[in-house]
Amino acid sequence: MTTTAAARPTTAAGARPTPSTIQQWWVLTVRVIMPTLRNGEVVTQVAASVMFTVGFYIPLKHMMGMFAQSMSSYAQYLMPLIALQAIAFAAVSAAFRSATDSVQGIDRRFKSMPIASMTPLGARMSASMYRCSLALAVSLACGYVIGFRFYGPVAHTVGFCLGVLLIGAAMSFVGDMIGVASANPEATTHMTMLPQLIFGLMSAGVQPAERFPKWIQGFVRNQPVSQFVYALRALAGDSTPAAGAVTWPVIGPALAWVVAYAAAGIPLAIWVSRRRR
Amino acid sequence: MSITSHDKRTITLDGLPEVGHTHARHRIHQQRKTGPKHRAVRPAAVESSPRHLVPHTWILTSRILRRWGRDPTSMAETLILPVALLTTLNVVLGDAISKVTGHSALYGTVPLVAMVAAMSGATVGGIGVMRERTDGLLSRLWVLPVHRASGLLSRLVADGLRIMMTTAVIMVTGLVLGLRFHQGILRTVAWFFVPTFFGVAFSAAVVTLALYSAKTIVVEASAIVWALLMFFSTGFVPLDQYPGWLQPAVRHQPMSYTIEAMRGLSLGGPVRTPLLAVLLWSAGIAAVCAIPMAIGYRRASMRG
Repeated sequence: MTTTAAARPTTAAGARPTPSTIQQWWVLTVRVIMPTLRNGEVVTQVAASVMFTVGFYIPLKHMMGMFAQSMSSYAQYLMPLIALQAIAFAAVSAAFRSATDSVQGIDRRFKSMPIASMTPLGARMSASMYRCSLALAVSLACGYVIGFRFYGPVAHTVGFCLGVLLIGAAMSFVGDMIGVASANPEATTHMTMLPQLIFGLMSAGVQPAERFPKWIQGFVRNQPVSQFVYALRALAGDSTPAAGAVTWPVIGPALAWVVAYAAAGIPLAIWVSRRRR
Repeated sequence: MSITSHDKRTITLDGLPEVGHTHARHRIHQQRKTGPKHRAVRPAAVESSPRHLVPHTWILTSRILRRWGRDPTSMAETLILPVALLTTLNVVLGDAISKVTGHSALYGTVPLVAMVAAMSGATVGGIGVMRERTDGLLSRLWVLPVHRASGLLSRLVADGLRIMMTTAVIMVTGLVLGLRFHQGILRTVAWFFVPTFFGVAFSAAVVTLALYSAKTIVVEASAIVWALLMFFSTGFVPLDQYPGWLQPAVRHQPMSYTIEAMRGLSLGGPVRTPLLAVLLWSAGIAAVCAIPMAIGYRRASMRG
């Protein structure tokens, strides 16, 4: 609605600018990214990725390493989980950002301006992707330090990176929606670390699902983090065949979880956009 | 005339009418007695008297607690997520740790999660201070006859009470999972209060950070700090699982000391040394934060 009104040139020439959606998207993206460079958020983002690497690897290496001996090293075994934790942290901090925005009323201001209704969301999403890419790059660098390597062909390596970013995008989208819908930064803060730690520890990312007690194995094996880990582990490959093959039965469930997760955000998105009109 | 307007203002401020009222009356009383000459001096002397510190702090504390009570989402998160973490840690690591150490891993994991709950909840207080600064509540309190120290003190007292509440919930969860106290009632009561020391010191650090930085930094940095302390503490995995060069750092960090003190108070073992170390760590952090926190709070209150 607002787009058509904005795009149509008005009769009084020069009286009203014709904003370009691309340019608006870029301006709003930079608006979110620039402060992260100034106020030190980049540092916390990098620190978080490093922290997940050392925090899981060093304490658990001996204790859990012996349960994962079919793989060439525990680093190779743990890497998918480290990447997922780093990406989740990045995605949730983006959600916190949007909750803050919506509390401050900037969302409402944007709605009163000639900006297409999806542009602020698009800008927030691209800013989240910037955070996610940073988290992925740092965690891969950390992984290389502890001994992780890509063994598969280039296509699989690209698949690994795109897969992690896709998961990050889905989490950012849902987190963003929760942030806007709740408009309660205090409540969003708890989401930054604890839920992902709980799901991460309760997954096949730390130790094989068979190591868990019988009654919970079904949950552990099928929950999204485990399925992501299986898919990413297969894409990363290994010098032994224990990483699993890149086949539909391995990749499919992970993709299904991403789609399901993102789909869960859509009703929320519709509700949020209706509420403010 | 000025007195009536003052009176009106205090009554509109939610949660504080009583104090404002008595103060206004007190002032009228004072002015009648001493005459207009001391008008500027007297009230300042009254509101900063130590006699008022305790009641003022308590009113502001109950204000914060009431606010939490009316935000069920974050309240539930504060209580439920740590319980889920404790259950998870028990399922994932409990078996392996019990095999290595010979006794239940719960004696380390329950204190660990109690500390995680205490520290992760501190962010809510930090964000709360920032919200009140933006909303102008801090500057409103600053112009009222409220004891200057009560604003910050009430934050820390409220955090202490919150920590006791989460510790109680985690204690009950631990008891359900199989934690037992072998050292008598007195030591069990002491066990319950140990997380409060470092927890409140950490809250002071988060509030200090909140007064000097951006919102996102407060949330992320404090999450990173407590996660690091959690991963590298003797409650996560036993000390000998860490590489030799890292063991001194793991052994001497405040969270490990808290866990060791609590382990001693429940299972048995040395208590005095770790407890003393916890108190030293907490006092040290509080001492480092005290002055910047007071200056930052003053600045936040005067900025509007």
